[in-house]
Amino acid sequence: MTIDLQLDSRVLIQGVDNPLALAAIGRMQTYGTKIVGVVSAGQGEQKLGDLPVFDLVSEAQASLGPIETSLIFVPAYRVLDAALEAIAAGIPQLIVITRGVPPLDTIRLLRQARITNTLILGSGSAGIIIPDRLLLGIYQPQLFSPGKVAIISRNQSLTAEIASELNQANLGQSIVIHIGSDPLVGSSCRLWLEWLQSDPLTEAIVLVGDICWDSEAATAAYLLAQQGKPVVAYLAGIHASTPHPLTDAAIVLSHTLSKPIYHSDTIQQRLETYKRAKIPVAKKIGQIPQLVKKSVGR
Amino acid sequence: MDLLEYQAKELFADVGIPVLPSQRIDRPGDLKALRIPYPVVLKSQVSVGNRGKAGGIRFVENTIDAIAAARTIFNLPILGEYPHVLLAEAKYNTSQEFYLAIVIDRLACRPVLLGSTDGGMNVNTILDRIHQVVVYEEFSSFYARQLALKMGLKGEIMLAVSEIIEKMYLLMRAQDLDLVEINPLGVDRDGAVMALDGKISVNHYAVGRHPNLQPWQMVDVARNRLGTLSPLFNEVGNIGILCSGNGLALAMLDGIAQGGGQVGQCIVVDPACSEEIQIALDRIGVNVNGGERTNSPPIDVLLVNFVGSEIDSCQQVMQYLARDPQMTIIWRVLEPDLDRLEGFLPLSIKLVTNFDRAIAQTLKLAKP
Repeated sequence: MTIDLQLDSRVLIQGVDNPLALAAIGRMQTYGTKIVGVVSAGQGEQKLGDLPVFDLVSEAQASLGPIETSLIFVPAYRVLDAALEAIAAGIPQLIVITRGVPPLDTIRLLRQARITNTLILGSGSAGIIIPDRLLLGIYQPQLFSPGKVAIISRNQSLTAEIASELNQANLGQSIVIHIGSDPLVGSSCRLWLEWLQSDPLTEAIVLVGDICWDSEAATAAYLLAQQGKPVVAYLAGIHASTPHPLTDAAIVLSHTLSKPIYHSDTIQQRLETYKRAKIPVAKKIGQIPQLVKKSVGR
Repeated sequence: MDLLEYQAKELFADVGIPVLPSQRIDRPGDLKALRIPYPVVLKSQVSVGNRGKAGGIRFVENTIDAIAAARTIFNLPILGEYPHVLLAEAKYNTSQEFYLAIVIDRLACRPVLLGSTDGGMNVNTILDRIHQVVVYEEFSSFYARQLALKMGLKGEIMLAVSEIIEKMYLLMRAQDLDLVEINPLGVDRDGAVMALDGKISVNHYAVGRHPNLQPWQMVDVARNRLGTLSPLFNEVGNIGILCSGNGLALAMLDGIAQGGGQVGQCIVVDPACSEEIQIALDRIGVNVNGGERTNSPPIDVLLVNFVGSEIDSCQQVMQYLARDPQMTIIWRVLEPDLDRLEGFLPLSIKLVTNFDRAIAQTLKLAKP
């Protein structure tokens, strides 16, 4: 699977029924994202602004030529179908903006994506932004400024907060990747951590999550700790929370199962994983810029 | 959404998983029309576990005993939850009890089959002796047989158990379940199997496409949505939090906790949804209808953070807040948005352009 974030990457939009999609299309076009068309079943041969609308992804492709990325905005129960349609048409990367996709749909989608080597970001992803260069998704670009720190996040609202903190410290962002807020997501923190190692714009990486996040991020960071670029983590909810009550076998089992490698299902264990990987965990949001500066030796 | 035992058993029966003859009891008097021969078991239908140890399960031999036992169970809270329904069920003699479950592994993004020949009440024994099979590709019966064999079963009982697992899987897929569990699966001396107790969680995203399950959706949806963070705060606190995301809420709860403050209400809403906003503000104690206050609000200071949301919806929320000039409000705002919000500003709202500073100010104002 390759990740293609070329600035002239050609983008398709699937589903324009909700106002979120329309607002995002406008913002992306203003930012220079090359949106080539829209797929909305039943509205084929119409126009959305200056964009051609098609009934099928395959029709869009026949008419527009190769498409690198599709942004999926269809309602949650239609995400599986829309994504399978895009995969069948050979689109290599999909960003699923829609939230609340049923897990069994995601499992089926990811099974197909593995076969075809398709990159899936989300579901429930706000997308990707490379400040001043590329906007793919629903982020508001004015929240970000160009810089050298990559953010990999599970929380859209927290990301805005942390970007603001980095902006105020004149660090900015090289790229912001929201891997999705749904319980099951496609591309993992690990995949993006690996990709960032060779991203020329990125000098340091901030991992943003909360205590509800799987230990995937901690585990991935641990495994990759030796690879080079410094990582700083922030985990919301450490002090305020009560631990999830592990009252019966089912909850215990699913908790245990979700973390097969280090069983770090308690916060303390996760913090321990970061510690062993020598990855600093910010105690407050305001501490993140300072830890980033320290980690890159400034 | 967690189903109650009798609901789970209805779904089991639909897919051919054997369950005992049973009858739903809505009030003790229903036992006079019991269609199952005595002795029977009366089981409290609550969503929490450990009801056996708490006295929520009783064996009865006749109608008089049954009615008395039913009265007792209806009046017995289990971890604070009173049953609305009991299940009367035939008695079953088991020689063995197995544990079977299917869950979704979030990290592997795959379903996992779980089984143990040590089922029953002892969670630790189950955990110690659990076997698992990950369903890597499209499900097929062999995955079920793999689990049954791993559990150490052979011959007829291996086939009987794998057939149950297969039916559990089909049920999970058909109804979009997060969890389907049979514990225990009773095995009698002839090797016949019976689902004696069951637990099913329906995925909350998927409930909308299963009209058959919706009558069972007992939780008040609106309350549930606003209450997702309810276990995370101390209800006696005098600080309110209103924000647009769970992560943001947790970060603010952290900040308040670190500074020694106490949060009374923490509500996550979509600022663009005015209906949600009104419910949330009402819960926090903001007098959204304006006019004279009749009671003093439980919250002294409200910390608002809609960073990353559309400014238009923020302005809308400010207009609601302006109706109650007595509530002190700290509003976290991004520097670039400052100009666009200041014009809307009621006197009771103080704008702060930094996350940690907003928390510090809230803590300071909330000090008695």
